[in-house]
Amino acid sequence: MCDQPVTNTKEARWQKVLYERQPFPDNYVDRRFLEELRKNIYARKYQYWAVVFESSVVIQQLCSVCVFVVIWWYMDEGLLAPHWLFGTGLASSLIGYVLFDLIDGGEGRKKSGRTRWADLKSALVFITFTYGFSPVLKTLTESVSTDTIYAMSVFMLLGHLIFFDYGANAAIVSSTLSLNMAIFASVCLASRLPRSLHAFIMVTFAIQIFALWPMLQKKLKACTPRSYVGVTLLFAFSALGGLLSISGVGAILFALLLVSISCLCPFYLIRLQLFKENIHGPWDEAEIKEDLSRFLS
Amino acid sequence: MALKAFFPTCCASVDSGLLVGRWVPEQSSAVVLAVLQFPFIPIQVKHLLAQVRQASRVGVAVLGTWCHHRQEPEEGLGHFLEGLAAVFSHEPWLQLGRERGSTFWSCKAIWRPMSPGASGQDQVMLIFYDQRQVLLSQLHPPAALPDRQAGDAPASAGGLAAVFDTVARSEALFRSDRFHEGPVRLSHWQSEGVEASILVELAKQAAGPTCLLFSFLLSLLSAVGACRLFRLWPLPSICSKLSTCKQVQHRLEHLSLIFSTRKAENPAQLMRKANVCVSVLLDVALGLALLTWLHGKGHIGQLADALVPVADRVAEELQHLLQWLMGAPAGLKMNRALDQVLGRFFLYHIHLWISYIHLMSPFVERILWHVGLSACLGLTVALSLLSDITALLTFHIYCFYVYGARLYSLKTRGLSSLWRLFRGKKWNVLRQRVDSCSYDLDQLFIGTLLFTILVFLLPTTALYYLVFTLLRLLVVTVQGLLHLFVDLVNSLPLYSLCLRLCRPYRLAAGVKFRVLGHEAGKPLRLLMQINPLPYSHVVRTYRLPSCGCRPGLSWSSLCRKLFLGELVYPWRQKGDRQD
Repeated sequence: MCDQPVTNTKEARWQKVLYERQPFPDNYVDRRFLEELRKNIYARKYQYWAVVFESSVVIQQLCSVCVFVVIWWYMDEGLLAPHWLFGTGLASSLIGYVLFDLIDGGEGRKKSGRTRWADLKSALVFITFTYGFSPVLKTLTESVSTDTIYAMSVFMLLGHLIFFDYGANAAIVSSTLSLNMAIFASVCLASRLPRSLHAFIMVTFAIQIFALWPMLQKKLKACTPRSYVGVTLLFAFSALGGLLSISGVGAILFALLLVSISCLCPFYLIRLQLFKENIHGPWDEAEIKEDLSRFLS
Repeated sequence: MALKAFFPTCCASVDSGLLVGRWVPEQSSAVVLAVLQFPFIPIQVKHLLAQVRQASRVGVAVLGTWCHHRQEPEEGLGHFLEGLAAVFSHEPWLQLGRERGSTFWSCKAIWRPMSPGASGQDQVMLIFYDQRQVLLSQLHPPAALPDRQAGDAPASAGGLAAVFDTVARSEALFRSDRFHEGPVRLSHWQSEGVEASILVELAKQAAGPTCLLFSFLLSLLSAVGACRLFRLWPLPSICSKLSTCKQVQHRLEHLSLIFSTRKAENPAQLMRKANVCVSVLLDVALGLALLTWLHGKGHIGQLADALVPVADRVAEELQHLLQWLMGAPAGLKMNRALDQVLGRFFLYHIHLWISYIHLMSPFVERILWHVGLSACLGLTVALSLLSDITALLTFHIYCFYVYGARLYSLKTRGLSSLWRLFRGKKWNVLRQRVDSCSYDLDQLFIGTLLFTILVFLLPTTALYYLVFTLLRLLVVTVQGLLHLFVDLVNSLPLYSLCLRLCRPYRLAAGVKFRVLGHEAGKPLRLLMQINPLPYSHVVRTYRLPSCGCRPGLSWSSLCRKLFLGELVYPWRQKGDRQD
């Protein structure tokens, strides 16, 4: 009945509603329909250096894994005395602990309500359990083949890098899983070391570099971005230096990886933004913008 | 609907007389029970029938006349028989007759003309039955419809049951035989002489006092058993685990059933009593045979001499097995330290066991001698005792199994919860589901450390668990076979099976009909034969309840329990669900 000729067609304006009877066929679309087309309304304009700055989190984590592996290699080869590593680790932990409170003037501690006694207790728990279990760790993987252990560690460290919380809001991110995988890998690698003291110090070092260091980094990045860039550069160069002392090719490849992540990838991201073509219009699914919580209570 | 007349085959050749029987109006069938011979006085006949009616609660009446023409048909007899219809009125009035040759039968059913909805005469079907077999046989409730092999007679199971019931209940009618001095003479299956045996009569006389004596003894025994001393803490739980105690209790129940002074109420109870009796007798006979074999020619000594070396040998084999496990069994990569610890622990256990066995060895012969005496209580008791002795002698295997299972279940449960921690989840007991949870740093660290350690130690524990579970299952299988045999002897209805073998008609599943003769104008003559019950039905119907000490585990739940490392017991647990 819609396509019956109607005399006053010129006066009738087409409306995009279903609740009124209109003198148009069902599939009629007005010329004004495409006027509401919008393009790239949610696309963000990135600044190159800002993206480079943000990528430093990935660099930091890669360097952490690299430093851990290098230190483990030194320990395994017997080039690094465990006491020296323990002393350095302890000193840097203390410095980091002091810095952690100094950077924001104790505001974060007040907010979380965590006392120094709790920190001490945690530290004691770490040290005691690791020390107590280190003989067990020493003999744990004796009968398992070294290649299996290496494969497992590589797999776990990759998992650590994948699931790490880089600040992105994605479903795959799980800082718990990431930390657990790193600890698993460190326990596997520590069980390969010659003595139980080595294993103990290796696992302690793993806690420092995988659990405590990212917390300090996050605070540094939030409060003093400049010093954060400096620390990142320093850390990256020291990791590269350590790798260079083991294998030149590895160091070059790692350097290339770091450069591509920090410089090439942001550049590529910004270039790709030009090709972005998201169209929005009246055909989109309805989006509820209002806060509905007042209806729920 | 054709009228059916059931006629006993034994009465086919008797002289003329009156038909005594019962009229079943629902099936419109007349069940003839006996033939009343001439001469008689009608008032005495009525008196006798009233007596029988009172004794058996069956509506026995005079149904009609029976006329057997040996010579030329006499006109007078025919008139006389017709005249009887006026004396004994019955509706309908049957007139059965047999001609000189055996093949000609006549049968008429006369309805009185004034009765509503019935013609003067009706079509009649003659069905012959063997009175003795029908009297003794017991129609089973799941009575199938009679087979329609030759000819067909649509008789429902209910109708058959009525016929069988009528014949079985009017036993009072068959008490007197031909030589009995009585006012009336009846012809039926026993009329040539009543079946009886002196032995049966003597046994009947003796049964009463014997039962009384034995039931008194049994009540004395149960009073001792119920004494408070046996209710103290460890005894009931131990008794419930020992199959010997269970079997003895079971047998005591059987004996009290046999010697109970109450009369069996129905044929099923009677059959049950007979089955239990035969089972106990067979059991004791086998046990006595075992006893004579054991106590003759020093077999006990040989057995005792063989037993200790066997136990030694088993322990030695176990030691070898443990040493193999402590190395690199089947090329598996075990954790050396844990392997050594477990191996030494189990080796020490075996060492303890061997010294215990050697301590016991001087007394083994005495113990066996006394145990052998238990065979006079029955083979099943002896076998249960054997099963218990097996359990005691393989106690070390049971211990190994329990240690292995506990360790393994600790590992699996720890691993499952730590795996949730590893993924940042936890088990929410309130909602019965896995929730995500944010753990502290130290919790995460310790959890992951333990998780790593458990993962790498799991193969070692699992291997020990597997080996000892297999050993345990072997022992349990042997015990299970013994229990199976005991249950078989306990629950097999031997008496019913023998009855089925020797007297197939006693257990009837239904009947079949065979056509004897069918001529135009003459009534259809059928022979009713009894279908015996199949053996599988006999076993299913009369199975005695078994001891019931086996665990009610299904295969899937057993496998689940074995996989999770929960303990599996050969007896029924309190918490077991029946699935």
